[in-house]
Amino acid sequence: MPDDYTTLVAALKTLDIPFAENGWTSRPNVNTYGVVQLDFEASALRGDNTKLCSSYEGSVDLFSLSRDGDGMVEAVVEILDEVCGASWSLNSHMWEQNTRLFHWEWTFEVDDCAVHSEDDGDEGSPGNAGGAG
Amino acid sequence: MLEGLAENAPKAAAVGLYDGAGAMRTEMEYQAKRIQTEPFKYASDGQMRKPSPEEKAIVERGAIGVAKFRKDDDGCDTSVGFSNTGYAMLAGRRVPIPLIANSINSGTSFMQKQPFVRKARTAGGKKAADVMKKSITDYLEKNTGGK
Repeated sequence: MPDDYTTLVAALKTLDIPFAENGWTSRPNVNTYGVVQLDFEASALRGDNTKLCSSYEGSVDLFSLSRDGDGMVEAVVEILDEVCGASWSLNSHMWEQNTRLFHWEWTFEVDDCAVHSEDDGDEGSPGNAGGAG
Repeated sequence: MLEGLAENAPKAAAVGLYDGAGAMRTEMEYQAKRIQTEPFKYASDGQMRKPSPEEKAIVERGAIGVAKFRKDDDGCDTSVGFSNTGYAMLAGRRVPIPLIANSINSGTSFMQKQPFVRKARTAGGKKAADVMKKSITDYLEKNTGGK
């Protein structure tokens, strides 16, 4: 799991609203709540028969009965700014007629360049033999 | 060798853009086909549901298309997406097709998201760029008499 994603989830869970990872099985009975998840692998850097680096796209969703999200919109943006730097954006802002919930969706991108590093013993692998001088 | 490049460049860019938009549209249709569904049900009592086969069918046949080319100072531009004017009947109600697509792509409080548009944009970007490069090269080779 990308470190930045783990940090993001931990930071979102410190907010004063229920925040679930990978969705709720049923809607929580509160005014404001959130969801965070990784959606898919956006790109990867491959080399020497291994995956050197992966980039994942994920999303943060905030649902609220209040138009201002009970002040949580600014809090989420602040956390995204801090953890994801420039690699996030507000993808959509909708209002659900049936539930009367406002819905903000931010998308972000995090990388995981440590997935296949020295932990995998690359230095001794046949693929790397003779690679360096 | 490259005679006629200046006058052919705008047309070559337009041809490339046309083919690139087509590649992106194909990718979006492919991703729409992969949307997971379950029989329609009203998501009462805070329960979650997946899109129904009817909703998926509306999105699939709906209106994934390429917008009219727009000319500006730098050349031309277009968009790939859902028609703003399309409507469909769903559970006895007339619903805008882009709204259904957006509900599936971004999710709602009662439907888990399946970001097929974002996936198409990510997966289709490189394919579209490759197609555009080939189209532009082919066009220029054919019309400028050079390689």
